[in-house]
Amino acid sequence: MAKGFMRRFPPLKILTDEQVEAIHRGTLDVLQETGVLVYNEKALSVFKKAGCDVDFETKRVKFPPGLVEECLRKCPSSFRVKARNPKDDLLIGQDNVLFFNFPGTDTVDLDTWEPRPPTKKEHIDLIRVLDALPNVHFLNAYPYFGFSGGIPEVMKEIEGVALRIRNSTKVTIAIANNDIDMFTIRMARAAGSEIFANPNTSSPLTCYTDQVNACFLAAEYDLPSMIWDGATSGGTAPASLAGAVVLSNAELMPYIVLLQLLKPGARVAVANLVLPQNMTNGAPAFGEIGVSLHNVAFNQVWREYGVPTVSSSCGPTSSKRIDFQLGYQKMMPTLLSALSGSSILQLYSSIYGEITAHPIQAILDDDIAGMIGRFLEGLEVSDESLAIDLINEVGPIPGHYLGKKHTRKWWKKEQFVPKAADRLTYPEWVKTGKKSCIDYAKERMEEILSTHKVDPPLTRSQEEEIERILKEAREYYRKKGMITDVEWESYKKIIGG
Amino acid sequence: MNNEILEGLRKAIKEYDNEKAENLAKRAVEEKLDPLRVLDAMTVAIREVGDAFGRGDLWLPDLVGAADAMQAAMPIIEEEIKRTGAKRESLGTVVAGTVFGDIHSIGKTMVCTLLTAEGFKVHDLGVNIKAEEFLQAIRNYNADILAMSALMTMTAPEQKKVIEQLKKEGLRDKIKIMVGGGAITEEFAKEIGADGYDPTAPGAVKLARKLIGR
Amino acid sequence: MLKGFTRNFKPLEILSEEEIEAIHRGTLSVLRKTGVRFESKKALKLFEKNGCQVDYTDNRVRFPEGLVEECLQKCPSSFRVKARNPKNDMIWGGDTVYFQALSGTGSVDLDTWEPKTPTRKEYYDAITCLDALPNVHIIPWYTPWFGFKNIPPVMAMPEGLAARLRNSSKFTCSNYSMGCEVFNIQMAKAVGAEIRSSMAASPPLTFYEDAVENAFRTVEAGFILLITSGSVYGGTSPATIVGSLISGNAEIIAGIVLAQLIKPGTRIIVQDFSFPQNMRSGSPAFGAIEISLHQVAFNQIWRRYRVPIDGGVSYPGSKKIDYQAGYEKAITALIGALSGTNTIWIQGAMYGELAFHPVLAIIDDDMVGMIGRFLRGILVNDETMALDLIDEVGPIPGYYLNKEHTRKWWKLEQFIPKVADRLTYPEWLKEGKKDCLSLAKEKYQEILSTHKVDPPLTRSQEEEIERILKEAREYYRKKGMITDVEWKAYMKDLESPNYPYA
Ligand code: B12
Repeated sequence: MAKGFMRRFPPLKILTDEQVEAIHRGTLDVLQETGVLVYNEKALSVFKKAGCDVDFETKRVKFPPGLVEECLRKCPSSFRVKARNPKDDLLIGQDNVLFFNFPGTDTVDLDTWEPRPPTKKEHIDLIRVLDALPNVHFLNAYPYFGFSGGIPEVMKEIEGVALRIRNSTKVTIAIANNDIDMFTIRMARAAGSEIFANPNTSSPLTCYTDQVNACFLAAEYDLPSMIWDGATSGGTAPASLAGAVVLSNAELMPYIVLLQLLKPGARVAVANLVLPQNMTNGAPAFGEIGVSLHNVAFNQVWREYGVPTVSSSCGPTSSKRIDFQLGYQKMMPTLLSALSGSSILQLYSSIYGEITAHPIQAILDDDIAGMIGRFLEGLEVSDESLAIDLINEVGPIPGHYLGKKHTRKWWKKEQFVPKAADRLTYPEWVKTGKKSCIDYAKERMEEILSTHKVDPPLTRSQEEEIERILKEAREYYRKKGMITDVEWESYKKIIGG
Repeated sequence: MNNEILEGLRKAIKEYDNEKAENLAKRAVEEKLDPLRVLDAMTVAIREVGDAFGRGDLWLPDLVGAADAMQAAMPIIEEEIKRTGAKRESLGTVVAGTVFGDIHSIGKTMVCTLLTAEGFKVHDLGVNIKAEEFLQAIRNYNADILAMSALMTMTAPEQKKVIEQLKKEGLRDKIKIMVGGGAITEEFAKEIGADGYDPTAPGAVKLARKLIGR
Repeated sequence: MLKGFTRNFKPLEILSEEEIEAIHRGTLSVLRKTGVRFESKKALKLFEKNGCQVDYTDNRVRFPEGLVEECLQKCPSSFRVKARNPKNDMIWGGDTVYFQALSGTGSVDLDTWEPKTPTRKEYYDAITCLDALPNVHIIPWYTPWFGFKNIPPVMAMPEGLAARLRNSSKFTCSNYSMGCEVFNIQMAKAVGAEIRSSMAASPPLTFYEDAVENAFRTVEAGFILLITSGSVYGGTSPATIVGSLISGNAEIIAGIVLAQLIKPGTRIIVQDFSFPQNMRSGSPAFGAIEISLHQVAFNQIWRRYRVPIDGGVSYPGSKKIDYQAGYEKAITALIGALSGTNTIWIQGAMYGELAFHPVLAIIDDDMVGMIGRFLRGILVNDETMALDLIDEVGPIPGYYLNKEHTRKWWKLEQFIPKVADRLTYPEWLKEGKKDCLSLAKEKYQEILSTHKVDPPLTRSQEEEIERILKEAREYYRKKGMITDVEWKAYMKDLESPNYPYA
């Protein structure tokens, strides 16, 4: 099983118990009074049968509080997700903390810092780096939005899942647009792995067809689900943070209810990508502190519900370069989420707000994850670590500790040694060519790419099955008219025939 | 008295007060104020807000709030313009929306707000807009400009669909088309035969002026 | 008064009650059994008189528990400190959090990233910058640098304090070396400000005479004493974090006993200045995560003792203003703020005590603003939960941007950084791809051309400062602590037409 980090102390809280309760009541009130738009006939019927107030005309669904609470109670507080290789199985929930990557549409040039689409090799390289990093416990969708060279839009993520399954044994996620999860779920299954179903909310208070369908697929294939909410406070959610928590929670509930109605005890985690709105340019304000305030409050409420939480908004920042700003904008939100009880942190590889990602960044982020992980593990207090006899033995100056057996044993237990950080003194640093963390990360990337092997690779028959499903998908979308003739011509060149 | 109403309208817009704007517009009609002068006063106010936003003194919620207040008064004044047969000096009529399959609204809303502030008459159709819906609106409003937004590479081709549909129905030459949104590039805009592209909302306004030659 | 920040929720804790108790008992046992060495006859006598067991052969003092508890109780749990301008006074202790600039030996070249010695003008300018930054609440000793060109080392501290008093009205500090505290204390008194000075232990378990002497002088002057333990765990304290805490706390408590014996009720703030040892180079491992673990545990214990806490010293390990420096500084400062440090060091510091740059202080100030905003927490009431508004807006196509509620609340909720890059890609490309560093450089120039110290020193204060400096120069010259070569360069420096500012 993929070993995460254990948080060994009570989580950070910023709300009182009464405030948590008020937010819960507010959420139930919105669900009952305002309701949610659900563009999915099947789901409307399920909700109706369960006692919701459903208007089939306007598609508005209003939820009785009892039903919501009952469904929340049915969610398991921790669960396992199976990977192709049992070493990558996930244990989600309780005080175990896992990490995964945040994708970018594009890669970025490390000299000009301008974005551009990755090549297929670069796409695979990023997957391989993520597969090799031990603290990346599973892989998000993408990690890039396809690659250059002419894959039709609708096939990008399906081809992407195939690349991930071929180059990594880690669990991944099946996004739900245009039915592509119908294919990707089967691909994962062919490789002997579970995959997260991925229904996403749309703010405010709207559930679109494909996203709701993902719940039906989760039930059908008995898969774990990760539900994302990505409201922007001030734009699609109230500008006050407490209101944004109420709204995003209300948006997540319909999916929770549906999942538990379809399959009681269904495995589910809720992901938080709520960002403040940048009031100058309308973009989500990535990397800003409102991200964390929302996240910490969200974590506190969902811990009461016993549903594992995912912090998504700690990955992307508003910096375009790998620089100081990126460093603090990643560290603070990730740390605060980890301290406040997130089960999963979406940290690795992203640079600017969902747009750019890079494997070098993933390697750098590995040190942040390691540091936070070390912090979560806290301190051991025992006779040996208290070391009172040793202190007495060493006494005042000129006594010292460096040569002691106790030091040889304990420093390694206590200290986390980062892999890509500059830890030299000035003279050493000048002598070795003034290398920065980016230089060390490049060296580590070379090493990973020249040595890392996926373990195990797909068997011949698994590979054939994946190829067969890809073919089926290509034909399906071709027939649906979602791959144009022009697209088809250039696509054929890539897939060889 | 008259000036008081105009001053009040200006203030209502700058204080984001929908109700007051609406009431004052009604009063302006009752008092038989020249609707073109009323419109002028409102345009000045919204432009001041737009300028302050451009300078960084005001923020998006202020800009959108002011546009909303203006929108609250607008139908009343327009009705009056129609009734009196006065000739309205609008920069032009814009139909705007985010294309089908795409629900990203923020950038599109910004563009619409700034166009309104500049003095365009804007019909914001919203998000997830099908080609037919665009076409219908263009006919209904006799639009000069079509502004389309798309944020996903998957939905960008929808813009092409709309343009082709316009061609099919013989409307293409009657209208200027501008496109934008995160998934659109200059190249793509050329490729699909749009008349203009810009990556920012203030740029979209300049572009709109350029397209209709004003 | 400067409000600083207030933490509106319970501090982060990582130790259980029993674990704190174990560390507390361990500390008392070290004080009682192992004891602490004081290289000061004056101190030894005072301890002996008050019931400590003093061994004059190795200058070891062993402390009875009762005296320790009594002296801890004499420390005020919170107190006001007075700056030159009352608007910059602060109240340390409880849930308040203030931030202070963090100095380095020298400056750094922002292109080659190599260290360099600053000039007098750079020194004064950097102070102006710190005076202007809203989240720099304290401009402590050595800040911005240990000295500047042409200043003999013994004069660095008095010259530095004079510069801070001239170009800033914020609370400042001064430290000791070769008895210069005598002059420092005079200068502070001349301008009507209090200062903070320190007594630093030399781990393990030792205090040398200069530190003790400074404690006597500071306490007798009625100023604030910072007592610090700066061990390197694995080197000068046990390699375990809790072992190092015990050893460090024993040192600090010994210092507290001394201070409270000199003058009961003395205002004390305790500092955690410990680092893990880098086991390859032997230097302290700057920017390491263990610093934060140490700090949280330290805070938990000292909150129980009810003594205000200083720390969160965030020196990065990186030599550049880069990604690594960003995350290293962020985690150290943030954990400190969450767990109860009252005064946190951060703005401007670069690699491990060796470098400072005012441009980085500007970038750090944004980070501090973020932390401060987090500490304020979330307000939960009918208006912020906005149930009626949520109902009014409803599902898509409803949105919140145009609402009165948004206009009011977004400004209350959002902290807006000053020099962080917040643009979208197209905007960023158009504006020349500026990063936070180039934005901060622009901001630095803007500050220098607009900021004015409020109020400047009065004429008579200025004369008094100059008189004390002159006295110090002559004192050290006579003592032979300024060489002929140094003296010549120094005197030439003073002849500058723009003295003291350039
Ligand atoms: C906020 C956001 C959302 C919100 C949208 C909320 C809302 N009401 O708008 C939510 C969370 C709902 C969302 C959902 C999804 N999103 Co989204 N989302 C974003 C995000 C983070 C920001 C977009 C934004 O608002 N930018 C700020 C505005 C101001 O910029 P803008 O719209 O581009 O507008 C500016 C200019 O382009 C210009 N402009 C805009 N329109 C026009 C028009 C004209 C004529 C002109 C001249 C100019 C112009 O002016 C504006 C101001 O300068 C982007 C990533 C990013 N950083 O851009 C992803 C992104 C756009 N989303 C993406 C995706 C994939 C999705 C989902 C499919 C995710 C999912 N799996 O469910 C769904 C899509 C659902 C759907 N069917 O549309 C992808 C698209 C990838 C691609 N290349 O295709 C992006 C790029 C993120 C990513 N890499 O994954 N998303």
